[in-house]
Amino acid sequence: MLPAAGEPAAGDSWGMLACLCAVLWHLPAVPAHNRTGDPGPGPSIQKTYDLTRYLEHQLRSLAGTYLNYLGPPFNEPDFNPPRLGAETLPRATVNLEVWRSLNDRLRLTQNYEAYSHLLCYLRGLNRQAATAELRRSLAHFCTSLQGLLGSIAGVMAALGYPLPQPLPGTEPTWTPGPAHSDFLQKMDDFWLLKELQTWLWRSAKDFNRLKKKMQPPAAAVTLHLEAHGF
Amino acid sequence: MPAGRPGPAAQSARRPPPLLPLLLLCVLGAPQAGSGADTAVISPQDPTLLIGSSLQATCSVHGDPPGATAEGLYWTLNGHRLPPELSRMLNASTLALALANLNGSRQQSGDNLVCHARDGSILAGSCLYVGLPPEKPFNISCWSKNMKDLTCRWTPGAHGETFLHTNYSLKYKLRWYGQDNTCEEYHTVGPHSCHIPKDLALFTPYEIWVEATNRLGSARSDVLTLDILDVVTTDPPPEVHVSRVGGLEDQLSVRWVSPPALKDFLFQAKYQIRYRVEDSVDWKVVDDVSNQTSCRLAGLKPGTVYFVQVRCNPFGIYGSKKAGIWSEWSHPTAASTPRSERPGPGGGACEPRGGEPSSGPVRRELKQFLGWLKKHAYCSNLSFRLYDQWRAWMQKSHKTRNQDEGILSSGRRGAARGPAR
Repeated sequence: MLPAAGEPAAGDSWGMLACLCAVLWHLPAVPAHNRTGDPGPGPSIQKTYDLTRYLEHQLRSLAGTYLNYLGPPFNEPDFNPPRLGAETLPRATVNLEVWRSLNDRLRLTQNYEAYSHLLCYLRGLNRQAATAELRRSLAHFCTSLQGLLGSIAGVMAALGYPLPQPLPGTEPTWTPGPAHSDFLQKMDDFWLLKELQTWLWRSAKDFNRLKKKMQPPAAAVTLHLEAHGF
Repeated sequence: MPAGRPGPAAQSARRPPPLLPLLLLCVLGAPQAGSGADTAVISPQDPTLLIGSSLQATCSVHGDPPGATAEGLYWTLNGHRLPPELSRMLNASTLALALANLNGSRQQSGDNLVCHARDGSILAGSCLYVGLPPEKPFNISCWSKNMKDLTCRWTPGAHGETFLHTNYSLKYKLRWYGQDNTCEEYHTVGPHSCHIPKDLALFTPYEIWVEATNRLGSARSDVLTLDILDVVTTDPPPEVHVSRVGGLEDQLSVRWVSPPALKDFLFQAKYQIRYRVEDSVDWKVVDDVSNQTSCRLAGLKPGTVYFVQVRCNPFGIYGSKKAGIWSEWSHPTAASTPRSERPGPGGGACEPRGGEPSSGPVRRELKQFLGWLKKHAYCSNLSFRLYDQWRAWMQKSHKTRNQDEGILSSGRRGAARGPAR
């Protein structure tokens, strides 16, 4: 997996951020297992599920610290500011029927694309003013998120799906307007963390669903035996 | 609250036409691009202020449909609603706020000043940065590990509390060679520290200083001039071994190896040994251990476990006149003194009551006496080792001598007790 080259410099570096995001999009697929005699995608789906739970846990403490850094009202439990700049964030919220009817490929693709975008924005969250500790926690989380992306790519490869490639012009560029104030930036940060959280909740369910689908139909075999009088 | 976002169903098809992101960008380009709801702008946006100063702010509503009013709006600062007497309506669409004698910002990301609609929803916000300019950092101290790198620490001025994010930058340059360099690896040994890992020159002094900058100003420390060779430290001595000295109950022998990283450089190392009894927290320090790799601890309690540590100071490296910097202590090594075979205090006649046969002051005086003897009496064979050998012999033969006539042993012990007074 190509590591993305370092953090973009703080300040007016949104062009560099777009470039970085483009690099992420062009990551090659990494097969999770050796194809010959492999146990199927089951183990890597399980691994991906476990990773989402781990990341969810990590995010809880990271978000707590970060929101305290932003200060009240951002760290208040019911805080619900307007979603102004966060329109380009991949939304995890989805209609239940639509979600259930997603085919495996689409389900995996949506997860992969979402985390690619989110990782990109997280890396741009290099607030100059944040403490060294906070920057370290963010960097650590980004690494873990990169791991999750790799894991999803592995599942897709095991199932024979190609990794989504971006169409030209659809690279995620979250360019704030020239008068993007610090307060607006704080709101964007808030929604980024919220959306990450929602995605991790949803992904756990996505991968749980995939796990169940991949399980061999043992029940059918038993019935068959019974029919033959065993 | 802005409405009219694409519905959730549209999101499930993750291949938006290329046009859509561009549209979104256009929409985002305009600040507060609401759609069909009131929005507002706070002025000033993200101001920086000195502690104690005042602030006049305004929240101007411009909604659509036009005619949106500032009636019913209110302010909060860091989540707390501000008293209504601080606000007043400037005109139909603008609410003003007057804050006086501001305190330092609650968080370094800025105080959150928010303008709310009547129903509590957020219309606009502004981050207030209230603090102090940095004061001169001071107390810069640096050390070099084995002459390979340089780590520096400093104290921020005003105990570091400027309420604003303050950036510290450690700069250095060779005294007669012009070019300023900036240290890059921060927070290596604490929050105000920096590590320069390579490309350090010897034999020419460095000038080192710290620059502190924040939104309200900057400050520079005094320049520290130092020579790398004067601030060298090294690793603690490896292979520290502590062992008994024959049957002597009150002594332990400590041996170590001089730190290998500096073994190629000419220097007179100084060492310090410290030791303590197992259950105690009081360390005893042996200070004058110069350029040796062994030492004998004396005056110890018999049958006791001792912890011993050694550290090294590479003083005088390459002819530096200054004391170097002490290394960390080596990992503690433990050893125990032999149990006393003699009867307890007051029991045996050869035991001076209450004290050990060779307590500290006795040994010191004896050492001085022997030194004097050597100088003035030409007894070149005399040495402290000889005294210890005699004592060891005394203890070993104590058991056998006990069987001898009592008078003889007490006579001898009397002689032995002479110096012990």
